[in-house]
Amino acid sequence: MGNWASIPSAGLRRDLLAGSVAGLIGGLVFWWALAAQDMTASVPGVLGLELFAAWPALHLLVSALLGACFGAISRYQPEGYAGLTSGGLLWGLLWWIAGPMTLSPLLGGLGPSWSILEASTAFPSLIGHLLYGGVTGLGLYATANLYLRYRPEVEAPETRAEAASKHILILGGGFAGISAAQRLERLFAHDPSVDVTLVSQSNALLFTPMLAEVASSAVEGQHISAPIRASCPNTQFYRAEVLSIDADLQVIRMRSGPSPTVEEVSYDHLVLALGSIPSFYGLPGMEQHSFTLKTLEDATRLRNHIIYLLEDADFEPDEEQRRKQLTFVVAGGGFAGTETMAELFDLVNSVLGYYSNLRAEYLRFVLVHSRDRILPELSDKLGDYAIGKLRDRGIEFLLNTRVTGATADSVLLEGQGPLPACTVVWTAGNQPNPLLSTLACERNRNGAVIVDETLRVTGLVNVWAVGDCAQVPDADVEGQAYPPTAQHALREGKVVAENIAATLRGRPLKRFRFQALGVLVGLGHRTAAAEIRGLRFSGLLAWLMWRSIYLSKLPGIEKKVRVALDWTIDLFFPRDIALTSVPDRIIHPADSESSQEAANPNERVQ
Amino acid sequence: MRTFESVIADLLPGALAGLAGGLVFAVTMWEVDRLPVFAEIVGASSETAGLILVIVVAVVIGSGFGVLVRQQRPGAGETLLWGLIYGAFWWYLGRLTLLPLAQGKGLTWDVAAAQNAVPELLGLVLYGATLGLSLVGLQWRRHFQTESLRVTRGCLFRGVVAGLISAYLLGTMANAQDQLPVFTGMAAVDSGFGVWWVLLLIGILAGVGYAFLFPRANDGTGVGLIRGTVYGFVWWVAGALTLIPIISGSGMTWSVAEIQSVFPTLPGYLLFGGAIALLYQFLGGLVRLLFSEFVPGGTDEGIGAQGLRVVGRSMLAALVGGLLFSLLMWQIGFLPRVAELVGSSSAVGGFFIHMAIAGLVGLSYGLLFRRQSYDVGSALGWGVSYGIFWSILGPMTLMPMLLGGSPLWTAEAAASVFPNLVGHIGYGAGLGITFFILETRYNPWWIPSSRVRAERQLRYREQVVTSGPAVWTLLILLGLTMPVLLGKGSGLAPIY
Repeated sequence: MGNWASIPSAGLRRDLLAGSVAGLIGGLVFWWALAAQDMTASVPGVLGLELFAAWPALHLLVSALLGACFGAISRYQPEGYAGLTSGGLLWGLLWWIAGPMTLSPLLGGLGPSWSILEASTAFPSLIGHLLYGGVTGLGLYATANLYLRYRPEVEAPETRAEAASKHILILGGGFAGISAAQRLERLFAHDPSVDVTLVSQSNALLFTPMLAEVASSAVEGQHISAPIRASCPNTQFYRAEVLSIDADLQVIRMRSGPSPTVEEVSYDHLVLALGSIPSFYGLPGMEQHSFTLKTLEDATRLRNHIIYLLEDADFEPDEEQRRKQLTFVVAGGGFAGTETMAELFDLVNSVLGYYSNLRAEYLRFVLVHSRDRILPELSDKLGDYAIGKLRDRGIEFLLNTRVTGATADSVLLEGQGPLPACTVVWTAGNQPNPLLSTLACERNRNGAVIVDETLRVTGLVNVWAVGDCAQVPDADVEGQAYPPTAQHALREGKVVAENIAATLRGRPLKRFRFQALGVLVGLGHRTAAAEIRGLRFSGLLAWLMWRSIYLSKLPGIEKKVRVALDWTIDLFFPRDIALTSVPDRIIHPADSESSQEAANPNERVQ
Repeated sequence: MRTFESVIADLLPGALAGLAGGLVFAVTMWEVDRLPVFAEIVGASSETAGLILVIVVAVVIGSGFGVLVRQQRPGAGETLLWGLIYGAFWWYLGRLTLLPLAQGKGLTWDVAAAQNAVPELLGLVLYGATLGLSLVGLQWRRHFQTESLRVTRGCLFRGVVAGLISAYLLGTMANAQDQLPVFTGMAAVDSGFGVWWVLLLIGILAGVGYAFLFPRANDGTGVGLIRGTVYGFVWWVAGALTLIPIISGSGMTWSVAEIQSVFPTLPGYLLFGGAIALLYQFLGGLVRLLFSEFVPGGTDEGIGAQGLRVVGRSMLAALVGGLLFSLLMWQIGFLPRVAELVGSSSAVGGFFIHMAIAGLVGLSYGLLFRRQSYDVGSALGWGVSYGIFWSILGPMTLMPMLLGGSPLWTAEAAASVFPNLVGHIGYGAGLGITFFILETRYNPWWIPSSRVRAERQLRYREQVVTSGPAVWTLLILLGLTMPVLLGKGSGLAPIY
């Protein structure tokens, strides 16, 4: 209601008023012309309703109403009289079809036939409607012009709109942040008073579930990331690193590069969607020597590393060294770990033929998992299926085993000796962005910000949190929190956008409630396991589902097409083993000594 | 007061252009013996009195035109189109309303009176065209100063190619219904071969003319199509009804009967003009795509992303328009006839075929008119105009051809498909508005939402000063008036 007095509506009010005045004049001209030829009974004015013959005032009222509608549709433009007059003629013509040709026979009980005969009979009315339209169009311009002369403050809504009055700031360009930005763009598409800004360290949204496929050379890296600028065309985007958040002053500080220029951005509402980073729990040597799969860079680095190892191993005379080079270890048996293992197996085995000195029996793939089951999110049956499938291929599983550290050429295992391997991929732990620890709000043990069921951060004003960096209470299970998955992040982003809009508009907030649709895990080589709404799928069918669902979730049509093409090429051609950069961790025997220091087998795992 | 002075400055060229237009109008009225009609206003009956009156009124009206278009976008074609709608409107306001009142005869707005005044309608169309072009001549600098309005050899070549292809298509369609000689004036040429030469010559002239009027208009192929259809109408009046009868020696009378006898040329020329513009714009786009330098700072997303978006939106829009159309056709029991396209005769079958056609046409609308509408008014304008264009191309041309016959461009056909025309208008309105609503939900301008509004306003403003509103109104006015004035056999059941 408060908006009624604001500037854009004032323009509309002006045009409605001017339109109705102009329509009234047009109606008068129409009526006068009819009266001049004694046709008020046979051609009873606009819409051609017989009722008007007896009630000319009604004709004038309808004329004014249609004029007001024209004003609302065509809107006054400075110097736009030619267009308005012409548009008025068009308006009159359309009402001739709607009125005397359609409405009038309908009310007469005959029903319209739109025949040439009817058109000929209604021809006088056509001329009348044209006159009416022309006068209304030109009259709208003249009346609005007069109106502006006396109320000039109504003018120039555009310049006023330049300064947005509310500023929503989103930190983080992952699933949650992007989905919030997109939803906000929708919600405020026609509201110039709200601006949305997104700050992220990467300028593209990365479809992280497919990173394993990038690492295995099945999909091109760029194809699974969508530029944020393209996905959110009406969001102000800054590729920058957030340095600090001041929730009291409602301002953040950020820096775009290594340069010391620090920018301050103030906000009215802040959405924390900073995601998570790998957590190594302080395991010795793990951060230096393991590979992670969080960014595109991680994936390409792993891919290059593996191909480089194959190249090296091909002319390595020392068998022990070669065994190390060809042993691939993944720590963590969740989705990321299992998919990575399966994909690495596919990559190495599919390109092995190129290396004449290497044979399949030299290869060793080991997945280390701290519990007794991999893929705990899946049902027992599907978990068994997955492990069985992978074991059949020759992948080893070290269950109930913890990794205690890593060196350049070995993985240290709890209670067992070091496992010689030049490759270890760490997927066993994540932690929310450390920036959150500076906020004066409640956090859980892992460091995630605790939010209420409307996604507001408890203890802070106008701050919201979504995605991996937030602990969102499960609406159905008391005391439980929703898992940090992409599915949840997407929905949380949407809900947070709606709740911010509701706050700005003074409406009640929505509770976040979402039941995961299901889980999918790709097991490589045309097999997958899926559990959707309680139904279990495995094998080729699940693999097809996995591919089509991932494809449909990829952001943007362009990337969908690109990945679909990549997959098709992958079906018919061998994987690409071209090195795109020299790995930064080339293993030389000399390095082994220094790496020994880092590994302290006595240190406990957290 | 500066506005007032500048208005005065535009009155004079308008008046001069009005004089030129008045002379053309007077000559045509003299040719068809209509000058005395105008003399009646002052109670005289001599041709001289009529001539003087016509010139005076033409000058006054012309100066009004000078003011009307002073803020519009410059360009020969743009001004011509405004001249046309201006002339046509004066037929309704001046000839059908004010003149009878001034004559003291009392006002009659019926079809008979309008048919009686058809020569003046044609005369006023020529008046409007002359008015617009003369104003361009008088304000040469304004209309040709910018680079984008300069006519190059490439433009002319494009025009010739577009004209030749369109003329060939026109000839083929006319030939299929044995109406070819009508297009060139029967008396002038006797051999079929000669007729083709005349037609191709008209094609070249019309193509070159289009190139001169809209040399480098890059405002979308769809806009060009609608503009071209109106351009075709000018050729119909100036060529088929005026120059060809004069050149062939039969003389012009502009009587309703005479015009009815060459009626097939009307849909023919409308489609011909549309085809020229479509090809011209398309070739221009192709040249830009293949050979032009990259223009930095563009806001295009590439054909793939945009095209797919367009497909989705236009399909949904076509669904709305198609349902509206089907409702209208169901009301008059036309659906079974549509089903005949696939050899069925059920209304349900007709409905589905109808919706399929609506989908295809809607798709073409999306591709041709994407990002052309910035408010409901212009959405309605383009949508309805496109609907009218299809009412000529569809039921009068393609549908009879698909049913195994030839196009039916006769006055009888035009009268009998009138209900279909109304259906097309409803379809166009639903299509245009829905497409617009879907399109505005997405603002691909890479600016914050506070500036989106301003940007939309700016583009809308740009559109307001184009000839868009004139073109929509003119086409719809023609579509509704011509069949009423010239259609034969009113009251016949639809023939297909």
